[in-house]
Amino acid sequence: MDSILPLAQIMIFPGFLFLAVYGLLLQWVDRKLCAAMQNRMGPPWVQPFADFIKLLAKEVIVPDEAESVMFRVLPFFALAAVMTAMVSIPVGQTALFSFQGDLVAVVYLLTIPTVTFFLAGWSSTSPYATVGAMRVLTQLFAYEVPLMLSLIGPAILAGTWNIAEISAFFGAHPALIPAQLLGFAAALIALQGKLERMPFDIPHAKNEIVGGQFTEYSGRLFGFFCLAVDMELVVGAALLNAVFLGGALGLTGPAAIALFLVKTLFVAFLLALLKVLMARIRIEQMINFCWKYLAPVAMAQVLFDIFLKYKLG
Amino acid sequence: MSDLANEEKIKADLEKEFHGAVSNAVVQRRNRVWLDAEAARLPEILAWLKARGLNHLATVTGFDEGENLGASYHITDTKILVTVKVKTPRAEPTLPSVLASFPGALSYERELEDMLGIKIAGLPAGRRYPLPDDFPTGQYPLRKDWKFVPPAGETEAK
Amino acid sequence: MSKITIPFGPQHPALKEPENFMLVLEGEQISGATINLGYNHRGMEKAAEDRTYIQNLYLIERVCGICSHSHTTCYITNVEELAKAEVPQRALAIRTLFGELERVHSHLLWLGVAGYEMGFETLFMYTWRDREQVLDCLELLSGNRVHYSINTIGGVRRDITAEQKAEVKKRIKYLEERTQYYIKLATGEPTVLARTQDVGRLPYDVAIERGAVGPTARASGVARDVRKDDPYLIYSQLDFKVITHNTNDVFGRLVVRALELVESYKLIHQILDGLPEGPIAVKVPWKLPAGEAVNHYEAPRGEDIHYLKANGTDKPERLKVRAPTLANLQSVAYMLEGGWLADVPLVIAAIDPCMSCTDRAAVWNPEKGRTEVYSWEEMRKLGIEHYKRRGVDFGRL
Repeated sequence: MDSILPLAQIMIFPGFLFLAVYGLLLQWVDRKLCAAMQNRMGPPWVQPFADFIKLLAKEVIVPDEAESVMFRVLPFFALAAVMTAMVSIPVGQTALFSFQGDLVAVVYLLTIPTVTFFLAGWSSTSPYATVGAMRVLTQLFAYEVPLMLSLIGPAILAGTWNIAEISAFFGAHPALIPAQLLGFAAALIALQGKLERMPFDIPHAKNEIVGGQFTEYSGRLFGFFCLAVDMELVVGAALLNAVFLGGALGLTGPAAIALFLVKTLFVAFLLALLKVLMARIRIEQMINFCWKYLAPVAMAQVLFDIFLKYKLG
Repeated sequence: MSDLANEEKIKADLEKEFHGAVSNAVVQRRNRVWLDAEAARLPEILAWLKARGLNHLATVTGFDEGENLGASYHITDTKILVTVKVKTPRAEPTLPSVLASFPGALSYERELEDMLGIKIAGLPAGRRYPLPDDFPTGQYPLRKDWKFVPPAGETEAK
Repeated sequence: MSKITIPFGPQHPALKEPENFMLVLEGEQISGATINLGYNHRGMEKAAEDRTYIQNLYLIERVCGICSHSHTTCYITNVEELAKAEVPQRALAIRTLFGELERVHSHLLWLGVAGYEMGFETLFMYTWRDREQVLDCLELLSGNRVHYSINTIGGVRRDITAEQKAEVKKRIKYLEERTQYYIKLATGEPTVLARTQDVGRLPYDVAIERGAVGPTARASGVARDVRKDDPYLIYSQLDFKVITHNTNDVFGRLVVRALELVESYKLIHQILDGLPEGPIAVKVPWKLPAGEAVNHYEAPRGEDIHYLKANGTDKPERLKVRAPTLANLQSVAYMLEGGWLADVPLVIAAIDPCMSCTDRAAVWNPEKGRTEVYSWEEMRKLGIEHYKRRGVDFGRL
């Protein structure tokens, strides 16, 4: 019995099955919200599931020129990394596997999908995929530092590197949540870059380089990449919820999970808003923006948090 | 007619400047001047017109008149439209290129080569336009004697 | 960094029609671009020589889906000039009205495409929804959304009633408000400015040199508009401004088109208010006396020019069509060089290219291709081998 429970947690809730289903549902929410904001209908809720199942049934084509083994295993690496990251992020009150320093581990694990995107493009060897791969890597250097910086602020304030503890700290001091607004905004924009969504979907900008790093992918392999991206959206939203929005806010049981859903949906709404409001920018404009504005903003939040910590004793 | 003064002036100046090389010049109506010219002096005439402010070569119409092939150069400042018509014998059709004064004419000249088989002296090498790369040589669709013949064994797609 | 050559087309998500640009990239920057055309050649000029004047009207309408009215009006002006027909004023006014509605429809479409190409899908969705209004107007007046077939030799085919007039005015009023919003959006939204300013520069001299036309030329400060310079239809009686801009970039082209929309709304109101009474068509003989005529027309994309030569029969001796895109494409190679890969779709879209206009004729290939082009048989053989490797044998079929 003891060994079945953790397995069930990893496979079902809050592990794989929950992540996959919620990820696809969030994809639908995102699409529907964008549609509403763009004055059109949007898909029915089953659409993401239908898309995924259909992709699973399609033939997988591996280009002759591609690095065959690498090409085939990369989607699963991406999937595994995202799922592992979720283990340390609290959904209700506690995380599945919580340890001191798991904030750093999660950020590290969330970098792995991006690296697999780069490798996917690189091992495809087609011109579009190669350009896409270069852009993935360039973009990674742009948003990674602001993201990490903005996550450091709350950690310093809470005095711990454990996500569940940071969450509990803000749950106990909800008055400090509004003070994290700048850091939250910076993290949100950096997350948008990480998820490669408009206006930062530069690596797979369809009107420039077709499918970017995924140009050569098809069928099941492509489906798993898409699933990994959807799950990354859940993990990213959950991370922001735990670090900036106080997690369960002291609630327990189903109420805590309901609160989790409400707050991740809110983060998804903000991300959808960013998506429809702007035109895609160029890669060099993205780097300029991230280093000139986003990183200093995140840094200011860190300094402010250090000051706050000193004041509060 | 006083309202045709500009047109008449261009016509008269052209006839004076290129005496002997320009014939049949007419002012057809407001803003329309037509003339025939000697093929060899075509680049000169166009350069002269360009210096007069007619700096837009709207298009080039190639034509097939039986024993002669030729081309009409429609040149304008969007107000007055001057059509310069030159002819070249069908046996060995050649026209000088006007790219020196009108670099934008590249595709029009390629079209003359492709569709009518008029050799343009001085046209840089490049991909053909508008026919496909594998179109058979020596076939010029816009010549009057050209008829579409489906290749043996295949039928035209309807 | 090593150079990569990227094929941009003939099939590419950014291009709605087949054309090919070979881009030489150094990193993200373009160091060279060549344009290949002709994928859409349909043999129209040749086909026109075998058809009567009235049949050609419908052929010419199909040169292009967007500028269908521009091409037919330009063609028909030539025919009527040769036939020395006196077209009634009311017919001319209705033609002008359609010309302006078409411009509105085309510019709104362009605005959406530009939004799409710069990755601003919201703008694309908004403008295309609003474009339905003008398409509805066209449908109301002519019965068709795209190929209006309103022109006929000697006049127009349908009259405009008072109710139709009121309905069109109502819809145009709505579009006027929306256009003000788009102008605000296009000139105020920072990401739009970041993507359009200093992109695809075409200086005044180069625009003249390469024969640019229409909004592309006007955004480079070339104040050229056939409607003003060589008035046709009833434009000489109407009051409108020629919009120019001096930034020479994609932003300028955006502003020129947006402001031209406003001018077009003004024109539509003027035409509808001052619609002359009278018949809408006159009879024109089937056979045209021998002669030549050339006319140009300010299509939404720029100057469209038609040349017609008649030989005394009911079929033309020679018909030449030059659509605005062909004139503008010479400038595109200039605009692309030294730019960013990310700007390519936008720069190409900024001239509002229309390939089916540009390549009017294709002669279907009767001979086997070069070595890298597969013939049907080779293609079939390859397919059979491919499936044989996977255990399916189609060879017997």
